[in-house]
Amino acid sequence: MDITALLLEAGNLMLVGMISVFLFLGLLVIVVQTMAKYCPADIPAAAKKPAAQPTNNTLNPKLIAAITSAVQQYRDNK
Amino acid sequence: MEGLLTLWHDTGIYHFEWKQLVMMAVGAVLLYLAIVRKFEPLLLLPIGFGAILANIPNAGLNDEGGLLYYVYHIGIDSGVFPLLIFMGVGAMTDFGALIANPKMLFLGAAAQFGIFATLFGAIALNVIPGFEFTLQDASAIAIIGGADGPTAIFLASKLAPHLLGAIAVAAYSYMALVPLIQPPIMKALTTKEERAIKMEQLRPVSKREKILFPLLVLGACIMLLPAATPLVGMFCLGNLMRESGVVDRLSHAAQSEIINAVTIFLGLAVGSKLSAEYFLTLETLGILVLGAVAFAIGTGSGVIMAKIMSRMSGGKINPLLGAAGVSAVPMAARVVNKVGLEANPQNFLLMHAMGPNVAGVLGSAVAAGVLLALVG
Repeated sequence: MDITALLLEAGNLMLVGMISVFLFLGLLVIVVQTMAKYCPADIPAAAKKPAAQPTNNTLNPKLIAAITSAVQQYRDNK
Repeated sequence: MEGLLTLWHDTGIYHFEWKQLVMMAVGAVLLYLAIVRKFEPLLLLPIGFGAILANIPNAGLNDEGGLLYYVYHIGIDSGVFPLLIFMGVGAMTDFGALIANPKMLFLGAAAQFGIFATLFGAIALNVIPGFEFTLQDASAIAIIGGADGPTAIFLASKLAPHLLGAIAVAAYSYMALVPLIQPPIMKALTTKEERAIKMEQLRPVSKREKILFPLLVLGACIMLLPAATPLVGMFCLGNLMRESGVVDRLSHAAQSEIINAVTIFLGLAVGSKLSAEYFLTLETLGILVLGAVAFAIGTGSGVIMAKIMSRMSGGKINPLLGAAGVSAVPMAARVVNKVGLEANPQNFLLMHAMGPNVAGVLGSAVAAGVLLALVG
């Protein structure tokens, strides 16, 4: 094959190659964006835990304190 | 006396040809680069040693029946080693940054222009007497611009096995040189204000998205570009093992034991291709030059694409990210981070750069698939 024909073919490959790479990855962009739309985020699951923990750890001592003081007051009154 | 003479005829000194000595010196240079300069030591060390072993006269390591002959035929001629490496790379890759900002895939696509421009350049080099690259040769050389070692070896073993040694050495050497090659190009194409652009924090990505991503990539590949499925398929397998969270043992094996063992033999097999008849040619010189050009063009086109996207988004994208579109994970992303910090010491781009960086791995695998489909 002479060089001009080869060069033409190489130019052709360059064009077709770049277009197909862009098309393929462009399609992936759309696919990933659609996936993001239909996939529920992990955040609720992650947010539940820290929300649940404070109720166990910080509210309980207060509750206990309130109850003990109420009981004590009740006893004192008696 | 005759026995002594026979023994003398059997020594290495008696049989040495100057070309073998030169190739052993090349092997020694690779060992030096690996051990003293710490250039991609994981690969250049076994490659350098393989080059020395392959050129020992009378040992026949490279002839049919020799160790290197078998390692090459089992692992590289068949394409198995680079694919196993790709599985390990998949198991090591976190696509989170890319899923959070999928537009970065365009940067990974743009940087592949380095590959196709070099293909054109390699054919144009035929004008100089002494160069006779076919389209297959040119494609295998051009993939160096993908900055991805296993992809380059895989494609070269399929399209131009006689150039494999030089292509693999060029690919890994330039990957080690990324911190030297990229910054000047990145700085020349961007202004200081552009380099200082801060980017919004990435959204958290759910586990389900991370599990679905490799399956979707594979699905797209199956339908549109089956030629790329060996590379992309193994990559997705590794990634699925990582993200599914149910096969931690397999994922761990893929990203440590398997990839380490394969790397040793891949290096040796590539080194075995560094024999004088294939390496001491004008073509090798051409490949080294073209490889550097491919890298530079890939970096440049990535940055230009990122500049365009930055303009279109109203200055929300730092154009430096484009340079990470050549794969070279994670070196290219680190370079982006470093250059970004120089412009704005508060600006950490590393996580953002991982997006285009892993997109570059996909991009070069897709480009390899396109080349295989069109030229192979």
